[in-house]
Amino acid sequence: MAKILEGPAMKLFNKWGIPVPNYVVIMDPERLAQLGEANKWLRESKLVVKAHEAIGGRFKLGLVKIGLNLEEAIAASREMIGAKIGTSEVRQVIVAEMLDHDAEYYVSMIGNKDGAELLISKHGGVDIEDNWDSVKRIQIPLDENPTIEQLTQIATDAGFEGEIAERIAKICSRLILCFDNEDAQSIEINPLVIRKSDMRFAALDAVMNIDWDARFRHADWDFKPVSEIGRPFTEAEQQIMDIDSRIKGSVKLVEVPGGEVALLTAGGGASVFYADAVVARGGTIANYAEYSGDPADWAVEALTETICRLPNIKHIIVGGAIANFTDVKATFSGIINGFRESKSKGYLEGVKIWVRRGGPNEAQGLAAIRKLQEEGFDIHVYDRSMPMTDIVDMAMKS
Amino acid sequence: MSILANKDTRAVIIGGVAGVNAAKRMAQFDYLINRPLTVQAFVYPPEAGQQKEIFRGGELKNVTVYNSLAPALNEHPEINTALIYLGASRATQAAIEALESPNIQLVSMITEGVPEKDAKRLKKLAQKHGKMLNGPSSIGVMSAGECRLGVIGGEYRNLKLCNLYRPGSFGVLTKSGGLSNEAMWLCAQNGDGITSAVAIGGDAYPGTDFVTYLEMFENDSDTKAVVLVGEVGGNLEEEAAEWLAAEPRRIKLIAAIGGTCQEVLPQGMKFGHAGAKEGKKGAGSARSKMNALREAGAYVPDTFGGLSKAIKQVYEELLASGAIKPESEIDEALLPELPPSVQEVMKQGEVIVEPLIRTTISDDRGEEPRYAGYAASELCSKGYGIEDVVGLLWGKKLPTREESEIIKRIIMISADHGPAVSGAYGSILAACAGIDMPQAVSAGMTMIGPRFGGAVTNAGKYFKMGVKDYPNDIPGFLAWMKKNVGPVPGIGHRVKSLRNPDQRVKYLVSYVQNETSLHTPILNYALEVEKITTAKKDNLILNVDGTMGCILMDLGFPEHSLNGFFVLARTIGMIGHWIDQNNQNARLIRLYDYLINYAVKPERPVPDKK
Repeated sequence: MAKILEGPAMKLFNKWGIPVPNYVVIMDPERLAQLGEANKWLRESKLVVKAHEAIGGRFKLGLVKIGLNLEEAIAASREMIGAKIGTSEVRQVIVAEMLDHDAEYYVSMIGNKDGAELLISKHGGVDIEDNWDSVKRIQIPLDENPTIEQLTQIATDAGFEGEIAERIAKICSRLILCFDNEDAQSIEINPLVIRKSDMRFAALDAVMNIDWDARFRHADWDFKPVSEIGRPFTEAEQQIMDIDSRIKGSVKLVEVPGGEVALLTAGGGASVFYADAVVARGGTIANYAEYSGDPADWAVEALTETICRLPNIKHIIVGGAIANFTDVKATFSGIINGFRESKSKGYLEGVKIWVRRGGPNEAQGLAAIRKLQEEGFDIHVYDRSMPMTDIVDMAMKS
Repeated sequence: MSILANKDTRAVIIGGVAGVNAAKRMAQFDYLINRPLTVQAFVYPPEAGQQKEIFRGGELKNVTVYNSLAPALNEHPEINTALIYLGASRATQAAIEALESPNIQLVSMITEGVPEKDAKRLKKLAQKHGKMLNGPSSIGVMSAGECRLGVIGGEYRNLKLCNLYRPGSFGVLTKSGGLSNEAMWLCAQNGDGITSAVAIGGDAYPGTDFVTYLEMFENDSDTKAVVLVGEVGGNLEEEAAEWLAAEPRRIKLIAAIGGTCQEVLPQGMKFGHAGAKEGKKGAGSARSKMNALREAGAYVPDTFGGLSKAIKQVYEELLASGAIKPESEIDEALLPELPPSVQEVMKQGEVIVEPLIRTTISDDRGEEPRYAGYAASELCSKGYGIEDVVGLLWGKKLPTREESEIIKRIIMISADHGPAVSGAYGSILAACAGIDMPQAVSAGMTMIGPRFGGAVTNAGKYFKMGVKDYPNDIPGFLAWMKKNVGPVPGIGHRVKSLRNPDQRVKYLVSYVQNETSLHTPILNYALEVEKITTAKKDNLILNVDGTMGCILMDLGFPEHSLNGFFVLARTIGMIGHWIDQNNQNARLIRLYDYLINYAVKPERPVPDKK
């Protein structure tokens, strides 16, 4: 899943004929003043200014301001841009037209194993949670688009009438096109608003997830997905992502501030069981990390050094299942170098290291890392005969 | 017995180097259980027509790479399985072709990052054709004692440790590849090993779900229990629970589910496989999956660590009920070892290999090349020069300072002799014809011989002989030479003479004699010879080849190395001429008619062929 921000989502909506309000994304408040000179809607409409960042709960944080005129919008942008929220900083705001409207509807589409499901409700906006029963659904099988009649029927079932039902059906058919052609995983438009005086519709807010794996066939995806972890990525996470994008195999890192047990684990499946084991024993994880697919030793070394720098950690779990093709000797040489380098820089003071691993060249890899004992590391090394997550139990008991 | 892959499985691998590596691992398994090679063909257009070398034990097999699937299947009608080892942008098309080929019943994809829409389409296509699609993101399928598809099972030693050479009683189903291997190990440790293990891949929409495979295991009478390793996200584990609860099942189900940690992590924080994403309101959470499976009657330990105990418990129950007979242990010593490589055996000191070549001058096996034992960088840092390297590599000794000064001068003096001599002219001619440097310089090199630059060795050789055999009898030496060799090599010049001496010779002789302490018996002898020959004819002087040859012999260089000094020195000049011609943008040249005497027959008709 890769969530994208409102700006790129609006752009894709526009591409497929889904009505959106006028909007601009800016990084510099002065630019808004210039845009105001060029765009009538900025001067004449009420505006909404929102921080264009992957920050949850923006309304409560004061990062959404509504009902503004241009000058107020410039002032609000000035206030928001550069604001620091926790570890992240607001760099962009989206300024959109606040459409006067008569009603708020709900339209969404979510992928499932047989295609996708389309959901429609007359009760959009903040009311949707309380009116979930009003949602009408239609399964859209893979590569089979419903007819406009079918869509009109579902709109009618959802309580829409006459021209509005027809217009909703039309918007849905475009939503289906957008979903299908942009490799979307989910699109939620809430609210879809209507101004009945001129029958103008607009998607006022959009949450869109796209399949980032499909980017090779989307030359016009000029954006990056936002962090999936409920906050912007840290610098260390971005560095590891950067390495990940350059290598065969993969290295991954998510920081969990405040945890005491650092994970330096191998494999997408096993790594999660290690995190589970820490939590099950009442511990707290300082991060999630994973390397797999026989990555280069230097990439594992970089991951190791990053993990050694996590603050206040007491244990590092160098865990993994019995690898199929990841070379234990080679990847461990990266880990060993990372540990040495970190120790020479003053990290790893009082940190216990717990190792369990199997796989190609396991004997040499484990023997090499065991030698760190002679260099003053507090390291405990086990082979395949130790059950996979038992090193966590031992760490938590020590 | 087994599911998906068995003794009759024959595979084509669609993909490049990763596919070949997988085929090598698969051949190791074929060797372990003594079955024919599983991989019969590769499909990879960039390498079409090549043969890939695959060792089945010590036996070398060649497997053909085809340009496309159709000809591979035509030539190998026994192929019933396709393994996809291509990148995400090409894997889907390859899988479609495989699924649409009548003979292929199973397609397994290792490719990661296949777009979800493609995965859904492939699944639909597989269902339409009644085929099995495993993956994407699957490490493969292992059927103990029967067949290995992909690198599942890891290195050879692990295949034995996990008892994969013979079937057991446990099926294994996982999303993760690493955990499929771990689960096979746990089944061997705590039970009697596996029948088949299938990694379905950790994507959101795998081609085949757990239930389909559970149904297959249920129908495989040798499988008594299945170890399922699932994780947060999706509903495949819930479906498995429903399947288990729906009616009495023959097989027992043991399951471990990953992702309980997400209960305590900050909201929205997700990690793991692509499919490991919890839905709204806790749907697909690890806890709800564990509960569903427990309620359906599966053995579900709280953590992965509890899996060993659960497997052991089920195994003992199956033994007690008589469903499984205790497995008689196979003596592991009876299982074949992989034949080691020559390097490995040599390390053990258990084999003698006659070397193909011998070297006595340099060795690059360490951190840097060593010339006759001396590290190149150390020679540099201690102030030695190229002339010392020549001394080491050609004569295997480090010259003294005086000696290396002489060598340096010999090279400097003979580096070039203008464009007109045959060597330089050869290089220039080639350069003008647009020939690249190495070939153009070689064209000049081919000119070095008895009439040009190639007399150094023979001059040194015969003057040395003279010193030895005719020490005080130069006329005797000359007579012998006339009788046995002809003109004395190193004596005589086309343009230079006693009155018009070669300044290079004059300088070299005077430098060696006056500014060094080198003992020069051979040079002295040649100068005596010159006195006699110039008395006969003015231009029978000691030429530069002869001078060099004598001095180099006096320096102690091996006789057959001497021409090397001219070759080395003149290479500098020839490279210079090539660079110069290229800088000048020189055009192709040909001889003018007036420079050729056409001493040919007059024009005449060609007679009819008889």
